[in-house]
Order: sequence, then structure tokens, then C-alpha cells
Amino acid sequence: MRSFRSGWIAAACGGLALVVGGCGSDDAETGPGVSDDPCPDAVNEDNGCIYLGVLSDLTEGPFAALAVPITDGQVAFWQRVNEEGGIGGYDVDITEYTRDTRYDPQEHSAAYREIEPEILALAQTLGTETTEAILGDMDSDDVVGAPASWWSGWNFEDNDDGLILEAGYSYCLESQIGLDWFSENVAPPETVLAVGYPGDYGGDSAAGVEAWTEAAGAQFAGFVETAPNAQVGSQDAAVGQVLQSGADVVVLAVGPAETAEIVGGSAANGFTGQFLGSVPTWNPALLDTPAAPALQALYTNVAPWEDLDADTEAHAAIRESLGDELPANQGYIYGWIWSYPVKAALEAAAENDDLTREGVRAVVDGLEVDFEGALPATTLGGDPNENVNRTAVINKPDPEAPLGLSSVATGVTGTNADSYDYASACSG
Amino acid sequence: MDELIASVVRGLGIGSTYALLGVGFVIIYRATKVINFAQPALMILGGYFTSLFATRAGLPFPVAVVAAMVAVAAIGALCERVALRPMVGEPPFAAAMVTVGVFIVLLIVAFRLIGTQVLTVGDPWGLSRTSVLGVSVAQVDIAKIVISLVAIGVIGVFLARSRLGLAMRATALDQEVALAQGVDVGRIFGLSWAIAGALAALAGMLIGTASGGIEATTALVALKALPVIILGGLDSIKGSVYAGLLIGVAESLTRTYQPEHAPFLGANFDVVVPYVIMMAVLMVRPYGLFGTPEVQRV
Repeated sequence: MRSFRSGWIAAACGGLALVVGGCGSDDAETGPGVSDDPCPDAVNEDNGCIYLGVLSDLTEGPFAALAVPITDGQVAFWQRVNEEGGIGGYDVDITEYTRDTRYDPQEHSAAYREIEPEILALAQTLGTETTEAILGDMDSDDVVGAPASWWSGWNFEDNDDGLILEAGYSYCLESQIGLDWFSENVAPPETVLAVGYPGDYGGDSAAGVEAWTEAAGAQFAGFVETAPNAQVGSQDAAVGQVLQSGADVVVLAVGPAETAEIVGGSAANGFTGQFLGSVPTWNPALLDTPAAPALQALYTNVAPWEDLDADTEAHAAIRESLGDELPANQGYIYGWIWSYPVKAALEAAAENDDLTREGVRAVVDGLEVDFEGALPATTLGGDPNENVNRTAVINKPDPEAPLGLSSVATGVTGTNADSYDYASACSG
Repeated sequence: MDELIASVVRGLGIGSTYALLGVGFVIIYRATKVINFAQPALMILGGYFTSLFATRAGLPFPVAVVAAMVAVAAIGALCERVALRPMVGEPPFAAAMVTVGVFIVLLIVAFRLIGTQVLTVGDPWGLSRTSVLGVSVAQVDIAKIVISLVAIGVIGVFLARSRLGLAMRATALDQEVALAQGVDVGRIFGLSWAIAGALAALAGMLIGTASGGIEATTALVALKALPVIILGGLDSIKGSVYAGLLIGVAESLTRTYQPEHAPFLGANFDVVVPYVIMMAVLMVRPYGLFGTPEVQRV
């Protein structure tokens, strides 16, 4: 380990590094994004530094409200890794190469090109379209990354070239598991409507709804395509179509404010069906809106993992990192849990004494990821039908819960979701 | 029929908010011949301040609204003094570009202030409903119509009856002549921005009554006032009111009926409707419905 190195070893190493590309931990081969110098503000001054990039939506983009806590959660995750000694003699830094790309594929691509020479991998690449914009470059650069989205395509090598290290289910499976749970625990839906943003998020969720209705013999009332309020002004059109649909369950894949408007507006107009909301539909601040009573009565949230107060090792660590502070929303938890696959990849590469990009990429297929109880242990790559995570957590709004949601069922699986033939991406 | 009435009331509600924003644009344009692209940012700041005063400071809602209008009016006047006054005498296009810069700066401030939150303005209407012609409609839509029209009416009376209003009208007609008659034109510019800021703040409050509250990105909704002022006529307050209401109703009817009766037009076609109406009207009335045709000696 680096802590055993003395000056003469470092000097010798310095010369040798020119030949073999670096000399971080013991004999590990290194390349771009790995330095023998300590990280800025290093936890372990004797360690070298692995630089990971973050391409996120941190100020003006549509997902900034979620992306900022996601990034905070990742910073806290890697801080904990560093406090536990780092990886293979290296601390991990994700702040030096954090860039705000405002959910714009062009800015995402430009920022990637800017930071690419300096990073080993991406700790976060937020969004599907934005990530697709850099996948070609990531492939030629051998840069792997953790997504901040749950598009089903990340489960398939045809879509992500094995570069995206996903965690949890996909939106497509999420809606199916949610409907399975609803069917078994509330009432079998006869007519189901999907409302969401077109594309990787709402489109993926709606594809899952359609598949579920086919499998369950229910009627698919269609996919109502809407857009964020910043684009369409209000959700009046979506509310109108919910009211006309006659659906007894509406599956939502929109933003939090739009969720409150659709649920509140539908309830105010006499709609008595139920709403199942995808993960990003929730924000604790919704409990302060006029729609709060309607949300408490009609809305159920589906999530890949439990909320802040869960009894797992991962959640205990998350709470410890927060101290007495509460994050603005669940994004902090997402960011934390999305980081486990990258950590596992770096550890496996360090184990192989190959902390190059090629070395990290080589360990991804078949990589076992331990989520410290937040999710079942998962194997990346391989056959998605076998390896994909098909469990969810069902939450209801709860003003007493730290982030406004409390779990009513955990580790939820469903008959139709389990038997769904996951042979290709559901959308896109 | 019930659906039609409900849709029209919804349209008048959102349309009156567009009218408020449009009047703010027009007041600044009449005084300075500059289109103020910062109006959306002033609107979202209005929503933020209303939320701050009503839900965090605990002020009664009407007091919070007035306080927010005063705060944003002050911001508007400050922006004019710092960023626009030095542009006096420069081409209007250059000054308009400065307002784009002001918009970006204020929007970033709004993003910083609002951050990751969904804000509510603490309004008393919530999701409550009332009956109009036997049809159930949202109280908040009635509130939007009444508040907007009262505010625009007050502005109209101010412009028509007060000395400052007379000075503003004189400045709008001819700045040099107004200056020669002793009107402090610089003060009129600042006052125009302050009034536009106050109206934008009021619009921000009304937009913030949505059951989902407002986020920083809600500012972009105010851009819908651009087709409103083009349609109504850049220098016509009356035009902004009519155009705002027309566009609001057209949007609402499109949202209600297009998905069922013309699905081939695609999702969210209502977003396009203001621009379609604007282009159609401009083909026959190039200066808008009530705009003043520009006469040039050749």
C-alpha cells in the first residue's frame, strides 16, 4: 500500500511510472484518472487519488431538484469509502470533475470531452438521452459510469455497450411490480392508464403498463404524453384525459409538481381511481401543497429501495452521513445507492492490479455488487432475464416520515413482473 | 355543455394571468420601446416572495401578496437603474439584449433561492370549487380572473387619471417632447419597470396557486406572454388583455377537445396554439389586434 512507501521507492516509482503508466498501489497498473498524488482535501494523505467525473443537472435543468441531492449523496458515499481507507491505496474524488450539464445532451457531451482525459470513470451521468449522447465516446475511451436514471436499456449490452453500471429495477419493471402489488393487495385493476413524459422515463414506464395489462387481461387505456409544467404550463390536459379514461389505476411517470397537479386536479373533479407513481414523482414538499389530502388518499409511490428510516447497513450509513440534517428529498439516497456498482468495479479492478479504464471495464460483466442490504446482491451483465432486479418497495405519503413516505411493503415481487420476458429494452 | 363552460373558465383564468404579464411587457415597451425579456424572472421571484412572506414569515395572504409586489417592483426598478438606464439612446435591440442578460441573472438568483423545493404560495383557494351557471369550476380560476382584471383596471385608472400616469403616456408618445415639458423621463422608465415588476409578481402568485406549487423552472411559463403581446399589439394594454384571454381560452379548449377529436395533432398541441393564432392574426393585422401601425415618411 502507498502508506508503506518511502521516499526512495517513490522516486524509483516516478521513473518507472513513465514506462508502465503509473504506480499507485503496490504494483497496480494505472492510467488516466489515477494519480499517485493525494486527492484535493484528501482524507488519507498517504493515498493516491482516483478521479471520477460527475455529469449532472445542478442549476437550471428540469431535474436539478433531484440531481443536487443525488450528487450530495454520492459525495457522502465516497467520503465514507475514503474514511474507510479508500480503494487499493487510493482515495476517490468526485468533486474535482463535477460539471453541470443542465440535462442538455450537447452540454453533456462537451463536458464529457472536457473532463474525459482526467477521469477513470463516471460516478454519475444523469439522464438517458444525455448519457446516450456520450455512450459512443465512453465506448472508445473505455469509460464506465453509474447512471442517474432507470431506463430499461441500461440492462442490455445492445444499448449501453456494457458501460452503464445500473442499480435497481427499470421504470418498465417498476410499473409492472407496482401493478402486481396493487392487484394482489388492493383490487385487480380492470383499466389502467399511463401518464408520463415521452421517451426513456414515461415511455419506459408506459411500456411496462401495457405489458402488464396484456399479461393480466386488463384493459390498457393508453399513454397520455405530457411534459413538465415549464413547457406546457399546466397539467390540465392530462387531468382531462385521466377523467375521460375511466381508468381505475393511473400510473404516473412525471415530475413531483406535475404529480400533485394531476392527482389533486383529478380528485377535485371527482376522480376516484388510484395513482401509482414512479420513483421521481415524489418530493416531500408535496405534503405542503393543496394536493396533499388527495395524495394521501389516492397516491402510492413505487421505489427500488426503502426510504431513509430503513433498517439496513446502507441506510444506517446514509443516516450517519447526514447527522441531524435531512436531505431535501430522496435524491440523496438514490445517489448513495447508485454508487455501489462503481465501488465494486473499482475494488475488483484494484484486486486485479489493473486500475486502468480497460481494467475497470473488464470487470463489469459478471460483477457481483453488494448493496449493504439496500438491494439484493446483484450481478451486472449476463442475461438480464436472470440477473435484473425485480423487487420494489411500496410507499404511501406520510407526514410523520422523515421524507414524507413510509413503506407499506418491502421486497415486493409480482407474478407478471417476474414472468415478464426481459429480452430487450422496453422503450427507446 | 358543462365541459365547455368549465374549459372556458379555466382558459379565462390562465388567460388573465397571461394578460397581467402582457400588460407589464406593454408598459415597459410604451415607455422605453424595449421588450423586457426579464419579465419571466420577475414573475418567478414574485412567486418566491409570496411564498416566503405567506408560508415562512406567516403574514396574512393578502399582505404577503402586496409585500411580494413591492419587493419585485423594487427589484424591477433597480434593474432598470443599473442595467437599462445606461442604454438610453442606444438602439432598442441592444437594450432588449440587455434585458436578456438581466433575465439570466435573475433566473439564476431564483434558482438559488428556490433550490430543490416545490413552493406553495399559501393561497386560500386550494382545490376548492364553486358553481358557475350550474357548472363546477375551481375557485382559483375565478380568483385569477377577478384579481387580474382588478389589477389591470387599477393600472388603467392610474394611467388615465394621475399626473404620473399622464407623464407616462406623454413619454410613451414622444420622449423628447415629454422631456421638454419637464417630465423626468428617467423616473418614468424606473416607474414602468416597477409597475411591470409588481404585475409580474402578482402573476407569479397566481401561477403559484397550482396544486403542485411552483418550481424555479416555472419561470418559463411567462414566455407565453410573448405571443400575447405580439397578438394584442406591442403598445396596447387593451390588446394584451384581449389577447391574453383569447389565448388562454384557446389553449384550454385545445387541451379539452384536441386529444379526443384531433389526436393526429399529437400530444400537448395546446403549447403550439398561441403561436398558430399569433401567426394567423399577424398575416392580416401586422401590428396585432390593437397595435399602432407605424407610419414612416418615405
